[in-house]
Amino acid sequence: MNEGLLRRGAAAAGQLARRLAQALPVLLVVAVVTFALLHLLPGDPAVMIAGDQANPEVIARIRADLGLDRPLIEQLLRWLYALVQGDFGRSLMLNQSVLSAVVERLPVTFSLAVLSLAITLPIGIVLGASAAYHRGTWLDSLVMGVALLGVSVPSFWIGIVSILIFGAVLHWLPTGGYVPIGMGLRPWLACLVQPAVVLALFQIGFLARLTRSAMLEALQQDYIRTARAKGLGEWLTVARHAFRNTLIPVMTATGIIISLLIGGSVIVEQVFALPGMGRLVVQAIMARDYPLVQGTMLLFGFAFVLINLAIDTLYVLVDPRVRYG
Amino acid sequence: MTSSIARFVRRSGFGLALLLGSTALAPAQTRGGMAIDANVGGPGTFDPAMIATTIELETLNQMYEGLVMMGEDYRAKPMLASKVDVSPDGMTYRFSLRHGVKFHNGKEMTSADVLATYERYARISPNAVVLANVARYEAPDPYSFVIHLKVASGIFLDILKSPAYPLVIYPAEFKDKPARDPDLTVGTGPFRYGEWQKDSHFIMRRFDGYVADDSAPGPDGYAGRKTVYLDAVRYNFVPEANARVAALQAGDADVAPTLPPELLARFNGRADIAVEKVFPGCQNVLLLSAGNPPTNNVLIRRAIAAVVNAQDIADASGQITRENPSILYAESPYYDAAAVKPYYSQNNPAKAKALLAEAGYKGEKIVLQTNSNYSYMRDEILVLAEQMKAAGMNAEVQVVDWMTNANNMAGRAAGWNISTSGFCSQPLLGPQQWRNMVYNFANIKGDTALDTAYDAFFASVGVDDRRKAWLAAEQIILGNAYFIKIADAGSVFAYSKKLSGIRPWYNIRFWNVSKQ
Repeated sequence: MNEGLLRRGAAAAGQLARRLAQALPVLLVVAVVTFALLHLLPGDPAVMIAGDQANPEVIARIRADLGLDRPLIEQLLRWLYALVQGDFGRSLMLNQSVLSAVVERLPVTFSLAVLSLAITLPIGIVLGASAAYHRGTWLDSLVMGVALLGVSVPSFWIGIVSILIFGAVLHWLPTGGYVPIGMGLRPWLACLVQPAVVLALFQIGFLARLTRSAMLEALQQDYIRTARAKGLGEWLTVARHAFRNTLIPVMTATGIIISLLIGGSVIVEQVFALPGMGRLVVQAIMARDYPLVQGTMLLFGFAFVLINLAIDTLYVLVDPRVRYG
Repeated sequence: MTSSIARFVRRSGFGLALLLGSTALAPAQTRGGMAIDANVGGPGTFDPAMIATTIELETLNQMYEGLVMMGEDYRAKPMLASKVDVSPDGMTYRFSLRHGVKFHNGKEMTSADVLATYERYARISPNAVVLANVARYEAPDPYSFVIHLKVASGIFLDILKSPAYPLVIYPAEFKDKPARDPDLTVGTGPFRYGEWQKDSHFIMRRFDGYVADDSAPGPDGYAGRKTVYLDAVRYNFVPEANARVAALQAGDADVAPTLPPELLARFNGRADIAVEKVFPGCQNVLLLSAGNPPTNNVLIRRAIAAVVNAQDIADASGQITRENPSILYAESPYYDAAAVKPYYSQNNPAKAKALLAEAGYKGEKIVLQTNSNYSYMRDEILVLAEQMKAAGMNAEVQVVDWMTNANNMAGRAAGWNISTSGFCSQPLLGPQQWRNMVYNFANIKGDTALDTAYDAFFASVGVDDRRKAWLAAEQIILGNAYFIKIADAGSVFAYSKKLSGIRPWYNIRFWNVSKQ
């Protein structure tokens, strides 16, 4: 076996392990800040569970049962101690483990994010690159106008209008709900395409504007003039030299977009009645379901760390000048 | 000597309700099919001892049954009990159970199951206080269940009928299950648990082993003879109202409940969709804290009540509403609108100013706390704030989230003076159901006149004495402005005419409903 390849593989694995180890303090900070912020919010889950008929004695009994009457620092330490043993706690409102609640809903949000990303990336990049190449033309104005619309119009409004048109009037797509991919690709796509497009609209606008500005900068560089001067075809000049040099900011933006997709899913899941993570977190915050909010926030934090790590790794592949370690 | 079921039937109006039920039976109903209900949300648990939200109760009360249940006229009707004998002193209630009633697991229901259910309820339910008057239970034979009270009560059956935290029966083997245990899904109702995906949908299926109450000619509220034609009912959880309307328009749903009136125009020209406006639904009430200054001064509370123009506030809510000075409905035996009319929608700023002067009010801040989750509550409070300012009050609106708002009200917190809410089950179920809410939300302590009136209500065996006691209590609640009544709010739902047998009521029920 190639010794050099092995050495590079070992170095990459070591680098990955170091980056993951560096993520631990970040996750600890996320855990403590989430815990502190959540407990700073007024509201008591015991009241929610007890209902409006309960008297103060019943509420106090439920608080004691849930351990909410203990000092905050004790609650935090107990939670962290359970965490290091892989126990994310038990949801107060769902009466199930936080991990199982997340696992039930993760496929929905993951499917939505992947489909939305698959729509965002090609459209956003092509629109942005085209606008830059045709700078100052009607195409540039049209693309930027559409991009501005995409980032300006609230997704809940587009979602409702979309349901009315494509669901209630044209009957092309379902008006809401989710069908797992295991029950067929077509129904899965049918229920996700509307929310994915709605979610993608903002990201397309964001990515198109960013790609345009990166591409404009690249097109003005000396190496583009050189490429053209040496007689390289226009397509190759743009695709191989200009476009490749826009990829670093585009990839950085992609990391941000994935994070925004997860965050944006909160509203889209609500409008399209999708049983995903966004709805789970909103309901958990509303009910002051401390273990569920803390657990999901920590898992979100971990996901963002992994996304950043993946993007950093991709930098190396795209740009040979980038080296770590 | 004991009273018989005949007396119970007369007292409860059971016969009349059965007659009404039988005349409303839909003709030529066919068996099969699945109805889809695009509901606002879904249940969090099927543990009856822990359930009080309307959404949870809608499904639960079709899967479980109690000894008595709420009839079409909101009064207690026999369900799993075939007969209730009340001792003349009002201290002992003997329930004769129907024979051959099956749980969804196939086991026959007996008094051992009833006993286990009541004991678990008393142990874990947040509403267990309603059984505080129970001295002991007895299950002398498999088909008899006896409750001995500590103090005579004429409203005990009304307590047992409550669809909120319902005292419905499940098998004795669940006796030691903790609160909200996921295994608790087994009842005797005409529908059984089918499939539940949290935040997505819940399916309940027809229970083919259901033993209907053949002594009743037809369905009666949650009681009576129930016949299930549908194979299943699927509840899709659709929080967005526009999406619920679209689902019904597109045929993705057969029923769309809890619709804002402004969306109803979307059904114009749709002869295949029926719209129903249901009263009574909920009551919109302003709550005033008697624990926090300056509203701990009764004169200031009365001044606030004096400025209220209920119609303007109700209009701002965007709901369908109707005037009603009482915190009960006209269907209640305790209802007396004339007696509480003087406290309703006074719209009298001059009286308010005089009361403020008498109270020595010097412009202290009065905090109106509301929430961003329920727009009707927020909009009502905004209008009230303007009415108060016009009378010279220093009204400050504070908008928080519902959880904070509800916590502050229920937890007797400092920092707020006025809030608002919509009460749905309490007005239906009567004075006994209001007690905790009145005392907790208004933070009442040391009002001996109210304590006396309520004690008299619970201690009175005769209905006339109870009516008199409640009237005194209601006049104190509204006269001392612990509560200010705004309006009765109706609920709006729409359904596809493919369904026949839908009967507008407090909640939608799917027995005696069929689908073309």
